[in-house]
Amino acid sequence: MDAQSDPKTNLKTKVDINDLCFFYGASKALKNITLPLYDRKVTAFIGPSGCGKSTLLRAINRIYELYPHQHAEGTITLDGENILKAKDLNLLRARIGMVFQKPTPFPMTIYDNVAFGIKLYENLPRSEMDARIEDALTRAALWGEVKDKLNASGLSLSGGQQQRLCIARTVATRPEVILLDEPCSALDPISTAKIEELIDELSSDYTIVIVTHNMQQASRASDYTAFMYLGELVEYGATEKIFTAPDNKRTEQYITGRFG
Amino acid sequence: MINRALYLRRRAANSVFIVLSIAAAIFGLVWLGFILGSLLTQGVAALSPTLFTQSTPPPGSAGGLANAILGSVLMSVLAVLVGTPIGLFAGTYLAEYGKHTRFAFVVRFVNDILLSAPSIVTGLFIYEIIVVPMGHFSGWAGAASLMVIVIPVVVRTTENMLLLVPHTLREAATALGAPMSFVIRSVTWKAAQAGIITGVLLSVARISGETAPLLFTALNNQFMSTNFNGPMASLPAVIFQYALSPYEDWHRLAWAGALLVTATVLTLSIIARLLENKQRN
Repeated sequence: MDAQSDPKTNLKTKVDINDLCFFYGASKALKNITLPLYDRKVTAFIGPSGCGKSTLLRAINRIYELYPHQHAEGTITLDGENILKAKDLNLLRARIGMVFQKPTPFPMTIYDNVAFGIKLYENLPRSEMDARIEDALTRAALWGEVKDKLNASGLSLSGGQQQRLCIARTVATRPEVILLDEPCSALDPISTAKIEELIDELSSDYTIVIVTHNMQQASRASDYTAFMYLGELVEYGATEKIFTAPDNKRTEQYITGRFG
Repeated sequence: MINRALYLRRRAANSVFIVLSIAAAIFGLVWLGFILGSLLTQGVAALSPTLFTQSTPPPGSAGGLANAILGSVLMSVLAVLVGTPIGLFAGTYLAEYGKHTRFAFVVRFVNDILLSAPSIVTGLFIYEIIVVPMGHFSGWAGAASLMVIVIPVVVRTTENMLLLVPHTLREAATALGAPMSFVIRSVTWKAAQAGIITGVLLSVARISGETAPLLFTALNNQFMSTNFNGPMASLPAVIFQYALSPYEDWHRLAWAGALLVTATVLTLSIIARLLENKQRN
């Protein structure tokens, strides 16, 4: 199916969130969210704790299905197909990668960590696999640091390296969309800078969504920003506009640090 | 103002409490010390290389415990080989699939009962369903009764250790597009590996000293035997028989056997404890 273009911006919409409501049991955590995610652009979700930005992110790859009593209503389309009606969640998740707040290396070697996702869907000869792994680690700006110890445990890396390993693992499966859930909140400033650089490079190939508490990060790393508050989308637009001339009073108060 | 009388009474009560606690701890440890002390003096005196090379003798002649050691090892290994996968899968079901369902609740409850069931009941149960139909005691029946003891220990530790694995690890593997069973096999089990092995070691420690279930099932055998179809000797059964006998040389062998069993259990427990600490960190 051909993906629709947004008439205002002339950009291709990769993921279209329409009238989305999300429930934890009976409590409504997201209220009628409508939002486009443009192809090969970085979109940031910002807002105070508990505003629903992570919940919204977790709806996009339906990772919430791991837990009972959580459900979504409305539509989220990926290239025009409704994600919320998708039958094969594994295939859906192979197309939409996710990196979490805390680094989550698997208890295996660095090589096997990156190979994990590839092996799920592709049967590659060793030489091609090696090339894919080098490519993924290079894209995650980690290759130089680990190329001599690919057989060391992923757990032996530092926190910042572990997070880049997780990004490499996600990139290695060649997804179309990458979801980042506060990927830098557990990292030091140097690692954070590396990951932001990385996001910038990856955005030429992938549609990226990043949830962040860090306003500077949102303004530096994203093209579009969505400000959320109490489960509602307050304002959405080009990052430059949101950070310089927001339409909404609450957005302005939040980005200038007056609440949240 | 501080009420001095009240304060002194509190301090006195505190001292009495501490003394009582320490006394209770010493009371418990003294008996353990006595048991281990007499076991060491009597057991070490009875140790000799022939223990491992000769079979149990008639009274008055030289011999060893080789047949009992072999029987114990054979039946324990079989019990663990069959019991471990069953316990592993059941524990995995409880932690990963069943969770808070009614069925999982019932399984967990029954498992807890099995965990603390008197082992003599296990022995009688296997006697009824295997020994009676077969018409004779056998190594198979002995291994089966030990297996019934192994399973609940492995189920319990497997479930507990899997629950220690952080949810984010499962989410990360799932988010890469891995089906649930694959996530469990290649990530969750691996993350809980040390803990799961701990459970298996604890179950081996538990069955190495079990006597009652073996008396009803494998009985005993004076000769070296690897035939699971017939009665089989085991260390606990030999200790039981020889310690109750009137013969001095049999008593010595019983002491030696008790020392061997205790050393095995102690070693396994220490390894298990170390592995568990590793898992929790």
